[in-house]
Amino acid sequence: MTFNLTLSGSDLLLLLPEMVLTAWLCVVLTVDFVMPRLPKDRLAYLSVGGLGVVLATLVWFELEGITGTLFAHMFVVDRMALFFKIFIVGATLLVILVSMDYVRRFRFFRGEYYFLVLMSALGMMFMASANDLLSVFITLEFSTFGFYVLVAYLRDDVASNEAGLKFFILGVFAAGLLAYGISLVFGETGKLVFSDLARAEPTPGLIIGYLLIFAALGFKIGAVPFHSWIPDTYHGAPTPVTAFLSIAPKGAAFAILLRMLFVSLATLKPVWALLLVFASILSMTYGNIVAIAQRNIKRLLAYSGIAQIGNILIGLAAGTKMGSDAILFYLLTYLFSNLGAFAIVVAVGNLINSDEIEDYNGLNRRSPFMAFAMLVFLLSLAGVPPLAGFIGKLYIFLAAINEGLYTLIVVGLINIVISMYYYLVVVKKMYINEPADPSPLRISAPMKAVVYAGLAGTLVLGIYPQPFIDWVVAATLMFSNLPGPAASMPPAILPFGG
Amino acid sequence: MNVPLSYYLILSAIVFTTGVVGVLIRRNIIIILLSIELMLNATNINFVAFSYYLQNIAGQVFVFFALTVAAAEVAVGLAIIIALYRTKASINVDDFQLLKW
Repeated sequence: MTFNLTLSGSDLLLLLPEMVLTAWLCVVLTVDFVMPRLPKDRLAYLSVGGLGVVLATLVWFELEGITGTLFAHMFVVDRMALFFKIFIVGATLLVILVSMDYVRRFRFFRGEYYFLVLMSALGMMFMASANDLLSVFITLEFSTFGFYVLVAYLRDDVASNEAGLKFFILGVFAAGLLAYGISLVFGETGKLVFSDLARAEPTPGLIIGYLLIFAALGFKIGAVPFHSWIPDTYHGAPTPVTAFLSIAPKGAAFAILLRMLFVSLATLKPVWALLLVFASILSMTYGNIVAIAQRNIKRLLAYSGIAQIGNILIGLAAGTKMGSDAILFYLLTYLFSNLGAFAIVVAVGNLINSDEIEDYNGLNRRSPFMAFAMLVFLLSLAGVPPLAGFIGKLYIFLAAINEGLYTLIVVGLINIVISMYYYLVVVKKMYINEPADPSPLRISAPMKAVVYAGLAGTLVLGIYPQPFIDWVVAATLMFSNLPGPAASMPPAILPFGG
Repeated sequence: MNVPLSYYLILSAIVFTTGVVGVLIRRNIIIILLSIELMLNATNINFVAFSYYLQNIAGQVFVFFALTVAAAEVAVGLAIIIALYRTKASINVDDFQLLKW
């Protein structure tokens, strides 16, 4: 096997979004270095501008239908990769806006913060395009290195350092498992590219290798039983980093999971579907039940995130084209609802310097706008119509019904009820309880923009989801030859579908 | 003299298990970091052996990347450990129990 590295202009075009982002993050770092007196807000806007350019190139790719593969199929640009890249860049953009107030708290390295966020985003963009096991390993580590530093960013804060340590040890441990798993798969097949692996016979070495790989990917998405780092890391990390960590890497990891399960392992579907059913049931139940006992809003959202991952795994367990559509759509709804909820948590945390749920008492009196936005985001996470989360859950459940996964659906429905309880406890505190300190809270402009974006996304995806459904259906066309009913969304079932 | 492939695989399995057990039972963060390095080096043994026996260069390419990743990992990890040591003056994981539900 030889690696042909002669690149033509059209090959380089496929790397355009990544090259723009790479150039831009160098610019951000240089500007921060040569102009130390520049207000750091300007750096944030500079980063947002760069991400806007990257987003524009991605949308151009999407509209022109530019696709292809590079580096002996290691790097692939297809509709699904473009979807995930737009998802990641969008999430990064919103997270940078959310971070601006928070960054003023850092005593050191305020400029480097934006650089590290952009670098992690770059790693995740490569993850969305990873098409063989070597690029999976490198891109996964590339994106996680930035996060190790970001989680431990509050240098004088023991909680942040401890969160960084736990995240680092478990993350690197997962990387070790991943690398060893890849080595076994390579040894059994002599191949690394996903589509070449599809024809491999299941031997014991191959099965152990894949189990190790999926354990490592389970760590990344935080599914039970690989969730142990999530609550502590989310709790200790700076809140905007928690918001970033809870969304973007999950999306990128699901891109890899979809490619591996649906391309390399399509023939072994009964085996992995069963494992995913168990992981999904455990994640939903564990996440929702433990979330009830939480007093800290970041931990509450961490456990609710574990449960949401369980919901997404339902779509993966269905293992059909429709399941993959549902996953992409669910991730979109999760992006807006979860990032919106975290934006409120960051805003409130900046103003009252606390993340305890008790301190949300009477938020409605202090800031009706923030209380209302939080209400919408939490109800969307719980899956209340006509918000985005409802359509997302409906889509996932429909995909599972088509595959006859009734146990999973029943557990999922029971879990919606449980999750409703702890989301509504927060709502009750915001609206009914009396505030300890009734002084009004004012939300800053960039934060307000993110909250409006979250509200708009949550409502539009909930009330008029059809264009987005068309988008995700088109993004996963590569999976339409999967076994099972290759269905697109039946529009008649959607009560609010335009 | 040709060493059979299974010898390499047994060696790497032993090294890997040593690493996993080390991460799970040792309490000193530096030792944990060393154990993780063992895990990655077991991977490298596997890759080089497979690459030789399958006559496939991709395995050796992977080793170079794995080495790079391991080096970057140590750099980030030691930085986090130093930050921790400054605030807590300890590198024993049992001393970091602040975050709990």
